[in-house]
Amino acid sequence: MKNTMMKSFTVGLILIAMALIPACRSSRKAKPTTPTTTVTETVPDVSATAATETVVDTQTDFVREDPRPTTEELPTDLDALNRYVQERGHVRDAFFGYDESALSADAQAALTSSANWLRSNPQYNLLIEGHTDERGTEQYNLALGDRRANTARQFLTALGIDGNRLRTVSYGEERPFATGSNESAWSQNRRAHLVIVGTR
Amino acid sequence: MKKILAVLSFALPALLSAQTDVTVTIDPSQASQIVRIAVPFPDSVPKTAGATVAASEEIREPFFAPLTRDLAYSDAFAIAPLPPGIAPTIEVAKRAGAHYLLKINVFREGPDYLVDPELLDMTGASVLKPQRYRSPRAALTRTAHTIANNILRIVRGTPGIFMTRIAFASNRTGNWEIWLMDWDGANQTQITNHGVISILPSWAPDNERMVYTSWLKGTSDMWIINRRGGGRIRLHTGLNLNTSATFSPVNNDIAFVGSTNGNPDIYLINDAGGNIRRLTSTGSIESTPEWSPNGRQISFTSGRSGTPQIYVMDAEGTNVRRISFEGDWNDDATWSPDGERIAYTSRVRGRFQIRIHNTVTGETRIVAGEGSNEQPSWSPDGRWITFQSNRGGKWQIYRMRADGTDLLPLTSQGENKEPDWSKKLE
Repeated sequence: MKNTMMKSFTVGLILIAMALIPACRSSRKAKPTTPTTTVTETVPDVSATAATETVVDTQTDFVREDPRPTTEELPTDLDALNRYVQERGHVRDAFFGYDESALSADAQAALTSSANWLRSNPQYNLLIEGHTDERGTEQYNLALGDRRANTARQFLTALGIDGNRLRTVSYGEERPFATGSNESAWSQNRRAHLVIVGTR
Repeated sequence: MKKILAVLSFALPALLSAQTDVTVTIDPSQASQIVRIAVPFPDSVPKTAGATVAASEEIREPFFAPLTRDLAYSDAFAIAPLPPGIAPTIEVAKRAGAHYLLKINVFREGPDYLVDPELLDMTGASVLKPQRYRSPRAALTRTAHTIANNILRIVRGTPGIFMTRIAFASNRTGNWEIWLMDWDGANQTQITNHGVISILPSWAPDNERMVYTSWLKGTSDMWIINRRGGGRIRLHTGLNLNTSATFSPVNNDIAFVGSTNGNPDIYLINDAGGNIRRLTSTGSIESTPEWSPNGRQISFTSGRSGTPQIYVMDAEGTNVRRISFEGDWNDDATWSPDGERIAYTSRVRGRFQIRIHNTVTGETRIVAGEGSNEQPSWSPDGRWITFQSNRGGKWQIYRMRADGTDLLPLTSQGENKEPDWSKKLE
């Protein structure tokens, strides 16, 4: 009953703290069983005051460590940085169907993740390489690679990434990731490959 | 005088005799007459004091083999076999059925080889202007090609293709670079050393320069270079892609594929990098432009129908019409020098083949065979097509007649692709 009325997350935390910490003043206060109706009426409009009232005693810290933002030491070497962000899935390549330049759901997810990283790392720019498998003809595939790279670019700009940070280049079928003439290799090679290219 | 040299003329590869029994037309009065030419292995006795004898075998591969090959493949001559062990006189040549006797004298002077060719008809009259060719050993093959061209011009009145060259891309150094070779695959010479990907060379009509695509600056750009690898310039377009460049046969325009926002289209630019004009403007992919020989039309590939197909437009970008209707992937269109035929790469049951489209009748026929076969390019006399094939497992460059016969591999080191035959007969 009490919990269902709580709208404020802060207040909820405080109440949990109250329930868990016997030394807490307000829990002592609560012992005399105040009617639940009065509590629920006061909490929504005086949450700030409620918070000040429920500050834990200094000698009984519940939170052992101050919450800190996690910091990442990004490699300064660009090759290492690219391996780092790709291995962790921060920046992910988009893969395409045969003779396709449309983005699948997987490709969109990969680019969304990449956009998030670019947004929180505005000091870096991105090169988008368009690649194709070996099956078509070389010259048409160069054009297809250009289209793939730009489809990825347009998706990233739609997610708010500044177009000035994004460059594209097509390699067509000239620089395959996987060798071999089978679907496994071909599907590896049909991609927009994202490369962090340096600071702005 | 070493008579045994005549014997050596029989050491011609067997393929020559099979090749040379071709009936050719010399002129209307001599229709369907075979011109037989006897070519004894060169004498190597110096005619001037101070010169030294050239060892006979050392000129076989660089000089005699390409000379006889040129003549045999010219479609103008058949090689008349001379009997062994007899001095190659006019009488002997006449008994062998020859119409001409090509007597060649080769000797050394310092590092140079001196070559004196003499073409005699069966009356013993010399029909070739007396000329001495001096060259280092490395240029002996070019000497052979030059002599073959001269003989063809004298006897048949037409220029030969023996000095033309084929530009191509090779990865034998570990990177794709631009290379050149003679029409028979000899003299393979590297002319770029960029260490990146450099591909798709295309000759200017003067046989002096070519334009190609390189990622030298990180993006794909068009570069012009001369046949010796110098004078390199980059064409700035302000566009993406910048590939499939090809010189106009009649002016200084270059057609190419440029792209804005992922929309590749056909553009023109001049060879100084100015005056950019856009010729197509659909939302589909356009690629691979190629000029008609008179410069008035441009073929290209477009995905506007859903699959890559060949289209032709006027050089101003108007009057677009589709010409390929067979196969689900067609590309690499290229016009025969007379403008009557367009060869292109056409996928048939999952494999690429060379298809030849007759622009007059509209008929098409397939001329290649095993493996995948792509990127055709015509010889400037329209009799041959060079192309790339992976029939041997790796991409290599081959040459065949326009009807698909007389197939010959031209490359073997590393992988090799995108042959482009120089445009001018020399």
